[in-house]
Amino acid sequence: MRVEYINPFVEAAFNVLKEVLVNSDVRRGELYLKSASTPVLGVAAIVGLAGDVEGRVLFDMNRDTALAVASVMNGEQLATLDDLAKATITELANMITAQAVTKLHDLGFQFDLTPPAIFTGDNMEVSDQDVEALIVPMETPQGKIEINVAIRERA
Amino acid sequence: MKTKQDFPAINERKPDGFRPDGAAYRVLIVDDSVFVAKQLSQILTSEGYDVVATSGDGQAGLDAYKELYPNLDLVTMDITMPKMDGITALEKIIEFDKNARVIMISALGKQDLVKKALVMGARNYIVKPLDRKKVLERVAQVLLK
Repeated sequence: MRVEYINPFVEAAFNVLKEVLVNSDVRRGELYLKSASTPVLGVAAIVGLAGDVEGRVLFDMNRDTALAVASVMNGEQLATLDDLAKATITELANMITAQAVTKLHDLGFQFDLTPPAIFTGDNMEVSDQDVEALIVPMETPQGKIEINVAIRERA
Repeated sequence: MKTKQDFPAINERKPDGFRPDGAAYRVLIVDDSVFVAKQLSQILTSEGYDVVATSGDGQAGLDAYKELYPNLDLVTMDITMPKMDGITALEKIIEFDKNARVIMISALGKQDLVKKALVMGARNYIVKPLDRKKVLERVAQVLLK
């Protein structure tokens, strides 16, 4: 997978997390590549892409992180991963994807997005046939959020 | 009371949420994300605005507008929503009431749709993530015009 697809997501994730987590210390971890199945941390928002490029982006975190991030974004302590908390994580995925896609469109790639869907559960994994997944961990005070991008040019 | 005299300046500003006649401006929020709807509602309510209804899609928003009309001052309209998107809902609201005051709420990257909405009669727009200051500024601008 070409790295130019992932950079916009990393930049967007960094910018948006910095903004919604109120200037907290957000750091980018080391990028790594997975070609086989990847475990999912517990709460994953997925956005699909279809067009000149196709694939999907996962925003993956554990439950505690999801709850902590949703709590900061709502300005109140949320106790459970309820509809509001899930809508908050969905909106986070929306904001990051929208910003990344703007950059990709500027680079000349045309494609559509699906609305984000949220998966929650234990011991989940994601497999991408024929597409490598590039993963960028973002470290926040609320915990680790992995941006997991599997995109390819349409054959 | 003495303390009131000691701290006059900050608290004497009139909140923006009230009409010149003293009644609160009435706002309809149309957004499919409960998070965004809640955020908007909190920001507006904190400034005195009266959020009279929240709709989760364009069709519900249009129905709510017709029901509340003419006792409604402002609509915040999300763009990407199920059933009926915000652009279509805007079009139908303007068709129903050409003086409707609608502010579009958009994610980044929807400039074309935002432009289209402004041409169609939306009064202003706000790009997410929502910032309290930005929201209140835009809303007050639209209501003062």
